[in-house]
Amino acid sequence: MSDRTISVLEGNNFVVSDLRGDIDASPTEPLGLFAWDTRFLSRWLLTVDGQRPNVLSTDDLDYFYVQFFLVPGTGTIYVDADLSIIRKRAVGNGFHEDLTILNHKDQPVELKVRIEAAADFVDLFEVKDKLTKKGECYQRIESDRLVLGYRRETFVRETLITASAKTDIDEHGLSFAVHIEPHGEWTTCLEVVAGLGGLGEYHEEATYGHGDRRARPNVKMSLDKLGEAVPRLSCDWPSLQVTYRRSLIDLAALRFYPMVLPGQALPAAGLPWFMTLFGRDSIITSYQALPFGSRLAVTTLLVLAQRQGTRIDDFRDEEPGKILHEQRFGEMTAFEERPHSPYYGAADVTPLFLILLDEVERWTGNAELVRQLEMEARAALTWIDKYGDRNGDGYVEYDRRNKETGLENQCWKDSWNSIQFADGTISRLPRATCEIQGYVYDAKRRCARLARQLWNDPALAEQLEKEAAELKRRFNQDYWLEDREFFALAIDGDGRKVDSLTSNIGHLLWSGIVEDDKAEAVVRHLMGEKLFSGWGVRTMAEGEGGYNPIGYHVGTVWPHDNSFIAMGLRRYGYREEAAQIAMGMLEAATYFKGRLPEAFAGYPRELTGFPVEYPTACSPQAWASGAPLLLLRAILGLEPVGDHLLVDPALPAMLGQIELLDIPGRWGRVDAFGRGRVDTSAMEDSRQSGKGKDETQ
Amino acid sequence: MIDTTQAFFAQLAERGYEPLLHSVTGTFRWDIEDAGSWFVAVNNGSLTVSRDTVGADCALACSREDFDRMVVGKQNPTTLFMQGKMKITGNLGLAQMFQRLFPDESLFGTAQGKKERQ
Repeated sequence: MSDRTISVLEGNNFVVSDLRGDIDASPTEPLGLFAWDTRFLSRWLLTVDGQRPNVLSTDDLDYFYVQFFLVPGTGTIYVDADLSIIRKRAVGNGFHEDLTILNHKDQPVELKVRIEAAADFVDLFEVKDKLTKKGECYQRIESDRLVLGYRRETFVRETLITASAKTDIDEHGLSFAVHIEPHGEWTTCLEVVAGLGGLGEYHEEATYGHGDRRARPNVKMSLDKLGEAVPRLSCDWPSLQVTYRRSLIDLAALRFYPMVLPGQALPAAGLPWFMTLFGRDSIITSYQALPFGSRLAVTTLLVLAQRQGTRIDDFRDEEPGKILHEQRFGEMTAFEERPHSPYYGAADVTPLFLILLDEVERWTGNAELVRQLEMEARAALTWIDKYGDRNGDGYVEYDRRNKETGLENQCWKDSWNSIQFADGTISRLPRATCEIQGYVYDAKRRCARLARQLWNDPALAEQLEKEAAELKRRFNQDYWLEDREFFALAIDGDGRKVDSLTSNIGHLLWSGIVEDDKAEAVVRHLMGEKLFSGWGVRTMAEGEGGYNPIGYHVGTVWPHDNSFIAMGLRRYGYREEAAQIAMGMLEAATYFKGRLPEAFAGYPRELTGFPVEYPTACSPQAWASGAPLLLLRAILGLEPVGDHLLVDPALPAMLGQIELLDIPGRWGRVDAFGRGRVDTSAMEDSRQSGKGKDETQ
Repeated sequence: MIDTTQAFFAQLAERGYEPLLHSVTGTFRWDIEDAGSWFVAVNNGSLTVSRDTVGADCALACSREDFDRMVVGKQNPTTLFMQGKMKITGNLGLAQMFQRLFPDESLFGTAQGKKERQ
């Protein structure tokens, strides 16, 4: 989001306004009050005596709460300081705004205060895709409130606006005739409720009440960070603490409360476009956050299990046993103009679901959960072999059933041009991307453990281990590019190896599918100048035909991607390289006040000196917020072993001493300590001088 | 003419057990316009069906036409709910699980896909 807007959010409810607190949205701008993928306010303008105020300052220390300090507009650049205007806004089921005007004069004042309000009820998809509405908007004045509504057949959405002070309501807003005594003040509450006609609860009030920042009773929202006590971090390098705190706050902010599991939260993907349940993002974020708390992960698994596919449905790309990709609640989804009710178009999410299930048990010892989800896990395993492997070649490949509104690329790099050859040509569907094979390998190995230890099915365990071993053997043959010495990005519909050098090979290390004698070459590529930008590993290497440092999945650097690569490096014993990636990312975070964006540009570090934000990146984005957490795990070498937590630090020297206290898990709580010894700046210097050498050759 | 609504509940009663609901326990009441009410109790996948009109953990109400379309797989329950044509009171998580009692894909999945792409 640009600096000229400010976002506050709670769950899938968020307000994007300008720095005055005003909303004046065009149909295609993501400004407004949004809830359940629908814009409930597209206009919310404050005027005092017909003038829009000027902003003095804006304070958004809490993710759901913002204060705007304003002075009346004079139509000139000069500020008239005789009046102060304060707007305090708390978001939740709409929002509550306290509007206060202070009179600093020693004479009384008479003011005309006006709030202009309108709602266009566009679906977020319409904002993105610039579509027009099919139903009708209406306005209605009830005794004490303004109702802005939208109706299409039986589909109804309403915004209810009330004020506590005396007001004249018309169809376009609220007017107040205000008298303020010398040095006195006037205040009104403005309550805006986002109502879903017939859809579950119809909220009659916003989450937050007047004057305070405590949630109203019986509201699931609370100010705790992740719903449990998170480990305490201290570090000689203060920026790490800033980033750590920012990550925890953003993950708390991005919690999404599914209607189907009251009181439980899981990670939504990111603001502003993705405040909803995404299988992949929720799983990955939960995995990243596991050393710091397991609640998000447990809820994620339960909710995804509830909506596991049970049938073949071409429109939704649904298949039995498949884990969902994305769920939406807006009008276009309701009327089946989009398939997100939910949509299942993702080939990697089902194995990732199994990986998370095992990982949760490793950290928490929650055997009951693993037994409860045994049938779903078995269905997911069946999906992998029966539906994931569409042509029976032993690899999971994807092609969409829904050719119109389905996703063409069903891996994490889901933009249209992400899977291309080194010469820049696009590969053909169906595509079997390499990292998905790695996930399948890992999922089968992990499920073998669960089958043996918790499902009492040693035969299944043996079968899965055998299948995994065979997959690893074949994969290392079929995907390996002898001449370039790395793994192909994918095998495409023509059976060709897609030969671009990409970050996907780092995920292969994370999953363990890489044979030991190939790991060194993979690491050499990951840390080489073509992939490693100095901040992190690019999605696609410089020099590939499709490379573009500001291409979404073909050259930018993604923090979550790098956090998994760092874990992969640790898995294969490349401790210093993991530390180098972690340090690059943590240093990059300092340029974003501790909040890593979804992606930033792949320019070489020495070229720009600072990480250049990708133009339309989501921020905060859940798996980017989770990245520093997983990086901390990687450099501290945190690994559950039975009922113990192994700590094996390999820290960048720049961080100095780190203490992470009270890490929760099946061991109770333990502390991890480490001192930085890996000289990442020397590694960076030699990388740069190495580059110089290459260039002169 | 076969009464689709009645036939669905009769078949449900005969079914006795649905493995997809193995972890579900709760009660449902369907109030179907012009057809009446049915009560379905699920106990870890075991199903019992009656015409009792007692309270349930989750009450679902819709028109007979819409219900019959769901029963034959021509209407997705989630989008019916989102459109405001099916009212649900009580436990939404349970309501969502009831979808698994509607007929299986193999009977109609492709036809449904085609219909929805029109």
